[in-house]
Amino acid sequence: MSKFGSMSRNSVATKFLMPWLVGAFVLTVLPLVATILLSCMEWDGVDPSQARWVGFDHYQHLMDIKHDQDHDSATRVDVNRDPFFYRSLYNSLLFAALATPLSLFVSLLLALMLNAPLRGIAVFRSLAYLPHVLGGVATILIWSWVFNPTFGPINQTIEWAYGVLDPVVRFFGGEGTGSWLLPGWLASETWCMPAVVCMHAWTAGGAVFIFLASLQRVDPDSQAAALIDGANRWRRFRLIVLPQLTPAILFNLITGFAASMQSFNYAYLLYNRAQNDGLLFVVLYIYRCAFEPPYRLGYASAMACVLFVILLVLSSLTFITSKWWVHYES
Amino acid sequence: MRADAQYRAVRYALVSIATGLLAMPLIVAILVALMPIDEVYSLPARLIPSRLEWSNFTDAMRRLPFLRFMCNSLVVSACAVMGAILTSAMAGYAFARFHWKSKRFCIVLLLGCLLIPAQILLIPHFILYSSLGWVNTYKPLIVPAWLGGGAFNVFLFWQFFRTIPRDFDDAAKLDGASHWIILTRVMIPMAKPVTATVALLSFVYHWQDFQRPLIFLSDFQTYTIALGLRMYQTAGGGWINLVIAASLVAILPVLVVFVITQRHIGPCARVVDQEAPGRPS
Repeated sequence: MSKFGSMSRNSVATKFLMPWLVGAFVLTVLPLVATILLSCMEWDGVDPSQARWVGFDHYQHLMDIKHDQDHDSATRVDVNRDPFFYRSLYNSLLFAALATPLSLFVSLLLALMLNAPLRGIAVFRSLAYLPHVLGGVATILIWSWVFNPTFGPINQTIEWAYGVLDPVVRFFGGEGTGSWLLPGWLASETWCMPAVVCMHAWTAGGAVFIFLASLQRVDPDSQAAALIDGANRWRRFRLIVLPQLTPAILFNLITGFAASMQSFNYAYLLYNRAQNDGLLFVVLYIYRCAFEPPYRLGYASAMACVLFVILLVLSSLTFITSKWWVHYES
Repeated sequence: MRADAQYRAVRYALVSIATGLLAMPLIVAILVALMPIDEVYSLPARLIPSRLEWSNFTDAMRRLPFLRFMCNSLVVSACAVMGAILTSAMAGYAFARFHWKSKRFCIVLLLGCLLIPAQILLIPHFILYSSLGWVNTYKPLIVPAWLGGGAFNVFLFWQFFRTIPRDFDDAAKLDGASHWIILTRVMIPMAKPVTATVALLSFVYHWQDFQRPLIFLSDFQTYTIALGLRMYQTAGGGWINLVIAASLVAILPVLVVFVITQRHIGPCARVVDQEAPGRPS
């Protein structure tokens, strides 16, 4: 009887779990295995009989391991490593390395500001969160106008500031600001990355509510005790508030880094020739290899696997270091 | 007392400056969308239009099948949101209320799904959907939402359901309610913050999703609004004011959903923050 009871309980659980379980296997586990298998194949995705097993050739090509010269060297044309892959990987890593800390800083600052018992604070909280949900194609188009090198409001403001500074510079014996250049933003190789990092930081409000939740758990007694001990504002923040926020910081660090390494829209929508591949993100390069002729699904999968390993290693390292700086209350 | 008033004033000023800065691009966008095109491309640039060109908005919608794109996106997002709420609540209910043999394995699977980057699954997804003949339909966009709706949503429901006392289940069971009734009539209504948050997150995800429609849709009659805006971008070199007008209209539905659901995000974050696993309690 009891066995029957537990069986039926098992089957009820399975019933509720089924949609997710099917999804987890068909849409996550199997594709993961498929990506790894595909990365050892050459296939254009059209005719399954054309698929060819090539072993670790793609990885060798990506990592520029010297090929055995005697071994069918005539068929190998492209022995040099793929420069675009390294460029794109560098761009994505740079973007993630800049955008993740900046976003974290912005959202933490917003959360600290918004953690006050003021009337109407809820409205401000919602406003701070809003860019996070609006971030998409529409706001990227808006931002690309804001960064327009000639007519955009940012460069217009900078030009105005140059005008104001001009007499000052002349006063100190300079040549005036007439020769000072305006940043080319999305039409320049050097400035496209800062522009996109800024766009990304604008959507940082997503973490505000997580930080607010942690802030509201900060023990008021320890705050008061520190106040009596004569700790100043900064010390109170660093020694009492910040440690309580570290679990949320760790969470946002890992998810934010993974998300920026995988960001596609900026690179795809804002691409132009003047950037000289300065915005070629690794995900965009993978997309182009896989979904544009000659449809190299195997090669693209190999790059995807490399990306996965990089993310796995970096997240694990972050997680391992967390035991030195993340504080869980006991 | 005076210090308190000062503190408030400083706080209000800081908060207003911060949110004002965040609102800046949107304010610029509204002004540009209402400008006649010759003023947009005039130097020195003007910030305030000399006259408000409201016809920009109607013009923008006539250039390309804008309303078609909006309807497509509404259908996709609405179907996906329903699926995401229902199936992730079901899985969350199972995790919160049942114990079964392979539960430990399922938890590992759930956390694993959270960690696997979606980008590396796209190529196999494309192969799967094209072999099913689903390319150029909305199935690749909607069906995944009905299969669990994302590990994070399952996780949110699970953590929130854990905080609901079992007395409610027991009371419903005494009244002869099945698990299905308990979930849909007791648990989901009690988990309003999570339901609202999941609805918002998955609506935003599907409304803003650009890459998957780009891969799975090719006929422009089926385009979602994100792809539609890309068409505006590539076609609208000379009428940026209309492109921005279209962009502003395209974010209105997100704004509406946000206004309806936003008051639940805070409570949801608070409960999940307290209940997160790995936090020794």
